[in-house]
Amino acid sequence: MEKGPASPEIKEKVLAYLATVEKAKSKEIAAAIGEKKADVDLAVKELAFEDKVEYLYITTTFVALKGKVGAPQ
Amino acid sequence: MPRIDAGPPHYKEMLPPIILENYGKWRYHVIPRPGVLKHVAENGAELYSVRAGSPRLVSIDFIRDMCALADEYCDGFLRFTSRNNIEFLVSDAGKVEPLISALEAKGIPVGGTGNSLSNIVHTQGWVHCHTPATDASGIVKAVMDDLHEYFTDMKLPAKLKVAMACCLNMCGAAHCSDIAMVGVHRTPPRVNDEKVQKGTEIPSLVASCPTGAIRPNPKTKSVVVNEEKCMYCGNCYTMSPGMEIADPKNDGVAILIGGKTSNARTAPSFSRMVIPFLPNNPPRWPEVTEAVRHIVEVYASNARQGERLGEWVERIGWEKFFILTGIEFTDKHIDDYIFSRETFRTSAAFKF
Amino acid sequence: MSEKKTPQLDELEKGQWPSFVTEIRKAAAKNPAAEDLLGLLERSYEEKKGHWKHGGIVGVKGYGGGVIGRYTDLPEEYPNLAEFHTIRLNQPSGWFYTTKSLRTICDIWEKYGSGLTNLHGSTGDIILLGTTTENIQPAFDEFSDAGFDLGGSGSDLRTPSCCVGPARCEHACYDTLDACHNITNEFQDELHRPMWPYKFKIKFSGCANDCTASIARSDCSIIGTWRDTLRIDQDAVKAYVQEGLDIQGAVCDKCPTRALKFDYKKNELNVIAEECTRCMHCINVMPKAIRPGQEKGATILLGGKSTIVQSAFMAWVIVPFMKMEDDYEELKDLLRRIWEWWDENGKTRERIGETIYRLGMGKFLREVGLPPVPQMVFRPRANPYVFWQQDEINK
Repeated sequence: MEKGPASPEIKEKVLAYLATVEKAKSKEIAAAIGEKKADVDLAVKELAFEDKVEYLYITTTFVALKGKVGAPQ
Repeated sequence: MPRIDAGPPHYKEMLPPIILENYGKWRYHVIPRPGVLKHVAENGAELYSVRAGSPRLVSIDFIRDMCALADEYCDGFLRFTSRNNIEFLVSDAGKVEPLISALEAKGIPVGGTGNSLSNIVHTQGWVHCHTPATDASGIVKAVMDDLHEYFTDMKLPAKLKVAMACCLNMCGAAHCSDIAMVGVHRTPPRVNDEKVQKGTEIPSLVASCPTGAIRPNPKTKSVVVNEEKCMYCGNCYTMSPGMEIADPKNDGVAILIGGKTSNARTAPSFSRMVIPFLPNNPPRWPEVTEAVRHIVEVYASNARQGERLGEWVERIGWEKFFILTGIEFTDKHIDDYIFSRETFRTSAAFKF
Repeated sequence: MSEKKTPQLDELEKGQWPSFVTEIRKAAAKNPAAEDLLGLLERSYEEKKGHWKHGGIVGVKGYGGGVIGRYTDLPEEYPNLAEFHTIRLNQPSGWFYTTKSLRTICDIWEKYGSGLTNLHGSTGDIILLGTTTENIQPAFDEFSDAGFDLGGSGSDLRTPSCCVGPARCEHACYDTLDACHNITNEFQDELHRPMWPYKFKIKFSGCANDCTASIARSDCSIIGTWRDTLRIDQDAVKAYVQEGLDIQGAVCDKCPTRALKFDYKKNELNVIAEECTRCMHCINVMPKAIRPGQEKGATILLGGKSTIVQSAFMAWVIVPFMKMEDDYEELKDLLRRIWEWWDENGKTRERIGETIYRLGMGKFLREVGLPPVPQMVFRPRANPYVFWQQDEINK
């Protein structure tokens, strides 16, 4: 199933939202920016390839701006 | 540039010619000797799989050694089983015995087929896990040393699947094994306020407790534990490194038995606790190896041919199991968690 | 190389079963991290506690899983374990290998890692134990060039796995290897870019013997079965009689539904087709004489998981019979609907089985669009507390 490129507007909204929080699940991002979760997932995928966000496993998987959350103390 | 999302190698590139030719056309199999499966195809082709034990935690030297044997005896084709055994796929019957000799010369046991003990599936334990209540590889090594004869022979009433999980997460199929060894804690977590404050989401931590034993403490910006409600599952420690639950003086191993996943004869079933606690006694955990051997021996001498351990116990009744094994039945054996009632005997028919 | 004493681990090099300590020692001869691991493990054996911290933030560009961060809590004493991460490689279906492919893995891992592995992890991946943050990307690049890809980790689709299937088993009711490979490739985003409340495992077993323990170990268990009648070869039955098999005792009496009738006079075995529940017992005992039927497919079960935290769940039937054909479109469509529902309704760290248990099978079936059928339950409910829908009551 080809998903096509992510919407540039949604990508911007994801980055803007992630700037306001430490980390979030994509479901929370979708709710906060008022977009469909599937579209957010796709935006996050592209942003990860662009090294702008990263996936973090902290008891469950979160998304954060790249480098915002460090290694455990 | 690396490929992204290319997926695993295609399995067909990994199959020996005899399998490619007879894919989906196998007719039946027999076990000519312990550790060897002989599969016969519709066209009469014969494939011998020689099954060998492995510690699962293996070095690249070990893998290369096994590759050298596979090159010599089976044209470079091998596979691994769901219980971490190695299977050499031999299409030349004349090479089966020489391969077995070569494996034995390297100290690699051949067995695990039919009515035998298969390899113990296990978790990482102290070797590489962050939440273990005990080690896994060490106990597995000690138990497999002790029960070696049951791996290399097929003298049990039925197959025996044993699993080892180093904490209550019970990774692997420990909860549905003939015998399961499970690492357990016995004391509540000790709250390290400083660590909890640093990077733990208090609401998630509170919600992680299945018995509601954890409450927020606004004064310390941390949490408190109602120790009476805690059942030591360790889920909170998974959520926060500030909930230290490892307790060398009190952690140990529980034994559960009678589970299975196959649908043959009886429905798949969960393993049931028969020994709530044995001490962590490295390096060879003598209490655990002794308890497992005892259960295996009582099962082997009492069950009918073809009965899995749990089928045998269900036939004779758990009350009889405790009599036959001499294992003491205590309040710890009676479930007091959320699905307990279905285990209570709501019938006046039972054995003395 | 310094010789540190490991008296407790030395004890585990004795005995007949191959020793993992010997394996770590082999790796330690070439790799300082593996050498430190011996020391750290000996320390755990002395203190009876583990020395690894909670996971960390490591990964490969473009991937959200497949690498698990691991750091010791004693980095000053064991500096080579300050970073000792795991890489999960997606195994080929059925865990079949050529020696060439295994040697390739060994060569790359010798260059970038500790030289220690698990063949395999509980979920099925090739587990490469112990590398540094710096080495992860170059190791992945070489594995990728060699034709390997990462498995799953975190809140994603975990690496699917399957039994030996039609490659070497006469019981397989569908092509488990092909199904596993196909589904794995179809859902690469779900495998590599975590997006769900928690993990989701799929296991493919070719028959009800369930050699992958799918019913216990996977959220979605796909168990091969058939819808018509098992096939009996009477000549082969007679051969078993000749060999001395007690067909009445070992086969008929153990049939859970007493669906098999053995005629002593004719040495004939017959099945009452509508009574058979396809448990595999008779086929296991008499593989030369009894085979599955010809209208084959799979039963789909959902919700299996281990103990943490609402107790262990065994997966339960949601589709009694599905044909495993047409590129598995029916299965893929069902999985997508299930994931969408779980994404919408699941709480963080809640497995699909727990979500359904919390919200009710009725709601799940209605919203995912699955018809309720009696095969889904052992027996109906014993209480009258039904959640009636608005369109079912008189207004």
